Amino acid sequence: MAYKMPVQKYSGKINEVTIGNGLKLGGESVLPFYSFDGDIGNKPAIGMEIWDIYPESWPKCLQEIFKDVADDPAKWANFCIYNYSPDFICLKFEGASPDGLDRSPEECAEIAKKVAESVSVPLVIAGCQSNEKNAKVFTKVAEALADKNFVFLSAVESNYKEVGAAVGMAYGNIVAAESSVDLNLAKQLNILITQLGIKPDRMVMDPGCSAVGYGFEYVVTTMDRIRLAALQQNDTTLQVPMILPVSFETWKVKESVATEDDAPEWGSQEERAVGMEISTAVGVLGAGANAVILRHPRSVEVVRNFINQMTE
Amino acid sequence: MARFLTIGERIHVISPTIRKALEERNPEPIIKRAREQVEAGAHYLDVNIGPADRDGEELMPWVVKVLQEEFPDTPLCLDTANMKALEAGIKVYDRKPGKPIINSADAGARIDMINLAAEYDAMVIGLCAKDGIPRDNDERIMYCTEILERAMEAGLSQENILFDPLFVVIKGMQDKQQEVLEAVRQISEMGLYTTGGLSNVSNGCPRELRGLIEATFCAMAIQCGLTSAIINPLDKLVMDVIKTADLIKERYLYADSYLDL
Repeated sequence: MAYKMPVQKYSGKINEVTIGNGLKLGGESVLPFYSFDGDIGNKPAIGMEIWDIYPESWPKCLQEIFKDVADDPAKWANFCIYNYSPDFICLKFEGASPDGLDRSPEECAEIAKKVAESVSVPLVIAGCQSNEKNAKVFTKVAEALADKNFVFLSAVESNYKEVGAAVGMAYGNIVAAESSVDLNLAKQLNILITQLGIKPDRMVMDPGCSAVGYGFEYVVTTMDRIRLAALQQNDTTLQVPMILPVSFETWKVKESVATEDDAPEWGSQEERAVGMEISTAVGVLGAGANAVILRHPRSVEVVRNFINQMTE
Repeated sequence: MARFLTIGERIHVISPTIRKALEERNPEPIIKRAREQVEAGAHYLDVNIGPADRDGEELMPWVVKVLQEEFPDTPLCLDTANMKALEAGIKVYDRKPGKPIINSADAGARIDMINLAAEYDAMVIGLCAKDGIPRDNDERIMYCTEILERAMEAGLSQENILFDPLFVVIKGMQDKQQEVLEAVRQISEMGLYTTGGLSNVSNGCPRELRGLIEATFCAMAIQCGLTSAIINPLDKLVMDVIKTADLIKERYLYADSYLDL
């Protein structure tokens, strides 16, 4: 008798969420890349992170790549699109930080509009460290980019009402629910956001990210359990695509920021940093991420190859 | 492990409002009661039309259509001793939300309901009884086995049967409560699904105690393996206890707002 491969069927399915005009996330009814079990949905997407201000704090090796375009976000975005073809651009309003430039929400909205008008891919709008300020920034940016289906990263426990009402309800964009590696809070936040009236297929989630080696096991098990609840237990509150801002985490750990002078025994800083970014991205993709955000072109290339080979 | 299945009991011919509505073919009161139960979170709705000897074959399809038009996502549990009425109801039943459940077969005169379920690919409640209330658990298990054997012969697989050990009233049969729970355990250990009428337990008790007694019995029965119950979903205490028991059984993931879902 011929061998019949066993197939794991699940009752649940991840929602398919459309970003921008046609970038689809999710849709899978099996564990990540388990094409032998069933429909793996849409290919995970890769976004590149850019800032509204010149990224002084980025390691020199990274600044070097973008230095000619990084003082103009629209130029920077197009430079990335032209050279590295990411699926989306993540525009991060670091300049809005009250501890930094403290850029006004109106100014941010203007920049976002200019970038949006100049690019051919969807945008993911990210904020600064202040959740309070982000709520104000997101409200203005969502208004300026109404009904674009852009993702706003993110609504957290302390600002979800304001962010959800503006981004999701009033201005027709997509809310990302962010929790910090807490399974129950991840579910709770999704429930609270849907209770505002936002449809589950108009949201994504960031269950919390860290760089490999920095509590990364918790990130992966949290993601695993979210996916298993969504698929096995058909938990509709968790059938939401996951977007992981990998670069926000990996570029601030010592393996990435220590220069070759600081740690000569560690070798090339660029290689280390790219290694951290790639390993983290591949780790979260294997745990169910539907989109990752990266900075380095080499990371984009390697992660894209990984995704392509896993989905072919 | 699947979530606990709730079957809403409030469309019942014993209620004067429902009896009148069924007689007059007036959909409004029936839809109203259905809506209350669906909104309260009942998975299935039981539709009890009584024996309906006179017009069951016409009445059951009517009420099935009325309910399914209004609640296309809610499956139904067709409840009558009238086999022809059940058959007529199943024939018009839309299976999209889930298989119909026949309520109920037993090991006595109503054992042919098993064959009806097999013939129409329906689910069926198997009452572990023959004539009246079973004397003890030996009898219950014997009837359970008889129903199971009939199902095997008819080609109805066991996951289509919800075995009802027959819950009994606490006021008067207090000494039998542990035995019923033990029956739930024994049937569950055979890998079978179970159900029971929760309001049987609190029948005749003061209104303010009924929910508490039902909720407590239900929680204890769930620990013994109970997989579904026929309940009054408008009783929030009962519904909340079921959700909490499912939580403790790890049938879904905790979140602070779990009672809202």
